[in-house]
Amino acid sequence: MIQLWNWFRRGSLERGLDRELQYHFDRRVGDLTASGIPEPEARRRVAVELGLAQVREEVRDVWLTRWFRDFLYDLRFSARSFLRSPGFTAVTLLSLALGIGATTAIYSLVDQVILHALPIKDPARVVLVDWDGDHVAGGFGSWNLMSYPICRDLQQQSQFFDGVLCRAEIDVNLAAGGDPKPVAAEIVSGSYFPVLGVGPSLGRVLEAEDDGAPGAGAVVVLSYSFWQAQFGGALDVIGRKVLINNHPMTVVGVAAAGFGGVDVGAVPALWLPASMYAEALPGAEDLLSSPIRWMQILARLRPGVSPAQAQAGLQPWFKAWLPDNMLRPGFPMISADRRRDYLGSTLTLTSAPQGHAPLRRSLSEPLWVLFAATGVLLGLACLNVAGLFLARGSARGREIGTRLALGASQGRIGRQLLADSLVLAVAGGVLGAFAAPLAIRGLIAFLPQDLAASALRGTLSFRLLTFAFFASVAAGLLSGLAPALHAGGGTLISSLRERAGTGFGDVRLRKYIVTLQVAFSLILVIGAALFLRTLSSLLAKGPGFDTASLVSFSLEPRKNGYSAADSHRLIERIHDAVRALPVTRDSGIARNELLTGGSWRNEVTIQTDRRYTTDRGVDLNAVSPGFFSTLNVRLLAGRDFDQHDSRPAGEPDRPCAIVNEAFVKRYLTGRDALGVRIGVGSGPDVKPDVPVVGVVTDFNYRGLRAQTEQAFFPISSKNEDFGAAFYVKLRGTPEQAFQVIRGVVRNADPQLPILGLRTVEEQVTRSLNTERMLAALSGSFGALALLLSLIGLYGVMSFVVTRRTREIGIRLALGATGASAIRLILRDAVIMIATGIAIALPCAAALGKLVQSQLFGVTATDPATVAAAALVLATGALVAAFIPAWRASNVSPTDALRLE
Amino acid sequence: MPSPRFPIPQGTLDMLILQILSLEPAHGYGIAQRLEQISRSVVQVNQGSLYPALHRLQQKGLLRAEWKESETGREAKFYSLTQAGRRQLAFEKNSWARLSGAVRLIFEEGSR
Repeated sequence: MIQLWNWFRRGSLERGLDRELQYHFDRRVGDLTASGIPEPEARRRVAVELGLAQVREEVRDVWLTRWFRDFLYDLRFSARSFLRSPGFTAVTLLSLALGIGATTAIYSLVDQVILHALPIKDPARVVLVDWDGDHVAGGFGSWNLMSYPICRDLQQQSQFFDGVLCRAEIDVNLAAGGDPKPVAAEIVSGSYFPVLGVGPSLGRVLEAEDDGAPGAGAVVVLSYSFWQAQFGGALDVIGRKVLINNHPMTVVGVAAAGFGGVDVGAVPALWLPASMYAEALPGAEDLLSSPIRWMQILARLRPGVSPAQAQAGLQPWFKAWLPDNMLRPGFPMISADRRRDYLGSTLTLTSAPQGHAPLRRSLSEPLWVLFAATGVLLGLACLNVAGLFLARGSARGREIGTRLALGASQGRIGRQLLADSLVLAVAGGVLGAFAAPLAIRGLIAFLPQDLAASALRGTLSFRLLTFAFFASVAAGLLSGLAPALHAGGGTLISSLRERAGTGFGDVRLRKYIVTLQVAFSLILVIGAALFLRTLSSLLAKGPGFDTASLVSFSLEPRKNGYSAADSHRLIERIHDAVRALPVTRDSGIARNELLTGGSWRNEVTIQTDRRYTTDRGVDLNAVSPGFFSTLNVRLLAGRDFDQHDSRPAGEPDRPCAIVNEAFVKRYLTGRDALGVRIGVGSGPDVKPDVPVVGVVTDFNYRGLRAQTEQAFFPISSKNEDFGAAFYVKLRGTPEQAFQVIRGVVRNADPQLPILGLRTVEEQVTRSLNTERMLAALSGSFGALALLLSLIGLYGVMSFVVTRRTREIGIRLALGATGASAIRLILRDAVIMIATGIAIALPCAAALGKLVQSQLFGVTATDPATVAAAALVLATGALVAAFIPAWRASNVSPTDALRLE
Repeated sequence: MPSPRFPIPQGTLDMLILQILSLEPAHGYGIAQRLEQISRSVVQVNQGSLYPALHRLQQKGLLRAEWKESETGREAKFYSLTQAGRRQLAFEKNSWARLSGAVRLIFEEGSR
């Protein structure tokens, strides 16, 4: 550090040393003359005695170690020589900045979504506890679902765990003075904060006492960022009463700043204890003692216990626990086969320092794909810079030859060239790092969830800067290595004898580089083509229903304190009012919104002449009469639901069901679906007594990719969840209709939040966000890669033409035609392009397996797509090579010969 | 002509400089003269090697330097010991005493 400081003040250091030595010199001369030695003799003697030049050099070595000083001089020399050729510098700088910026931006997301450990105490000891086998018990939520009782029981296993917590992400309506607003929340066991080791920044966090008997802990803890944003960081927020789903609760604290729950994709506004499940999840059954699965379990291992040890050690306990669990109220009746599967279940423990995030599940693969693509892009940029360096190196051949002749070692020259590329790469890295936050924000806008957008940050962190720095240095070494080794390898005599710009070795190396570039960029272009085809085939396919002039929104009255019956009545009333609007052409309601990625899913038992159960989950929904006609979904057989099918609460419904074409095809082939009886569930206690009254065409329920078996029931107060999703077919423009619809809901209940009021087309677009991100990014990466490699090819071909000008001139003078000159030059290019393609194709095929799951409507080795990509590349490359070739054909023989 | 003085052992120059400066601050020329006097011309110090040593000690924080008027009226760079320099000198004196004591013991053992 001191040494670096010395470099910057070396001027004043030098002056000080000069004065100091001058003083010594003068005093010594003075003393010697005083003792009778004549002054000229004294001066000579002192000069020898001191050895001034030697002393200076030795003192400089003290200030700054020799190699470091040389290196700094190299850097300065490089920087100066770059400033003299601004065009070259700009091109190389930009290509490096682009590569580094893109890699850094994608890395930022990879880091935040996949790699970043939770900001908690010792995250390395946190594991996710999951169930491997048949749970039997039903559940709701995202992934890795477990019941509350098993979490309680696991807490007793203190020989393995320091603590065990469970949590679920939910949405609640929060009213703090004003109207209720939906906010994200985490409902957690009392052990949550102690196990994570997260404290309060104000007041207290949730404790074991809060998570006692049902309804005992009417308290919430706010997240720091929500407290800042919604309460302005007010200190008197502690003790304030707020309404959660219309139930009063007390704010007891604010969690530590920077802590946003265990799910990076869903940052909660507040935490509430699991004891408040009935208030938080209106209509839920007894979640604290039933085997229903709705929470994820994270545990902190005891120090020195590995996940594998704990997993093995827990199995005996778990084997004994399984039969006990079957005795819990609410555990389904099951067949003997199923019981055997259930009792064969095991617990799995996986290290989870990053917490639990469904976002990671859906995004990690696309992100790694993009990260790999940017890696290839950065590699391409490096190759381009290496090519440019080689070109510059051959232009500098004489300079280097002269330096070698003056005694510079080959290592020294190589180091100089390496310094060149490092200066460039670090400058490019700085540019890239400045551009990265913009790019990250752009990327976040692509992400599938609103929540993700609020949880991910587009700012530069220290980790990110470190990454950018290492990426730059790696890029610098990579792009400088070939030229540096090459400069070190040439012999002195040949380099002096050669005329500037005629190095033969250079050309061969540059051709290899361009061939590699062609290969790399073809891989990226093929990737881009695959993702573009995926997106376009998904868009072309659509959701299977008519989205024109269709808008949707959801209401969840149960979260505003309504009972199930009141909620259903309110929804019916609003539905009637919406139907009566002049802008409404048609409308219907459904229990679950479409295209959100989730569904109500269960096995179905079918009774025909025999009884059998579906081999996988069927997507279920409850819908109103007119729902199918609103979506323009055709009825293939039977009838739609009517108002007699669902009765008000208290009266028995007339049971009936509608299934889709896929259901009929998979389970009812060759028979008349109408009249077949079905029942939800798979246990022996399920009564398949609901007659199928209709069959509809297939449409997408969970997302655009999923083509599943579906069954529908009439919507009633008994099968609604928190409310319903409305689908309205409009006459006018959506903008006007939004106003009117808001008015209708406000009339019915001014306090009821309207969720996700938007056109269904927008919902389709949202559900394709990941595909759109992959297509847009891989498309732009592919285009950039193509551009970089075309520039590289053009450069090397121009160089070849310049070098062979004389030869071509002679050929033309001897009667060769222009066309034959073009053929001569193009032959080189064609070999490079063909070799590049030949390298790329097997690589692309191998990499294709990794992206297959992200594709739709096209396989990774789809011949048409691959051929089109190769064609685009080959055409572009030939054009890039043709320009110099055409110039070669126009060489005038006299000029060419005079050139010498 | 073989010199009657032997060259200064490796690494002892730093110790001698610290010792001289522990008496009073001095400039480079002064230190050279003092070395000359104290060692009664037994030890030969290359005047040139003094300066790299001084700068090295200063960079290590054992010495501090300031420009002051010297006895001839000209400005000269005066070096003096820092706290760390004093500690270093005490440490080196101690280990030197132990080393030379050990060497003497071994010599006496051999000559008995």
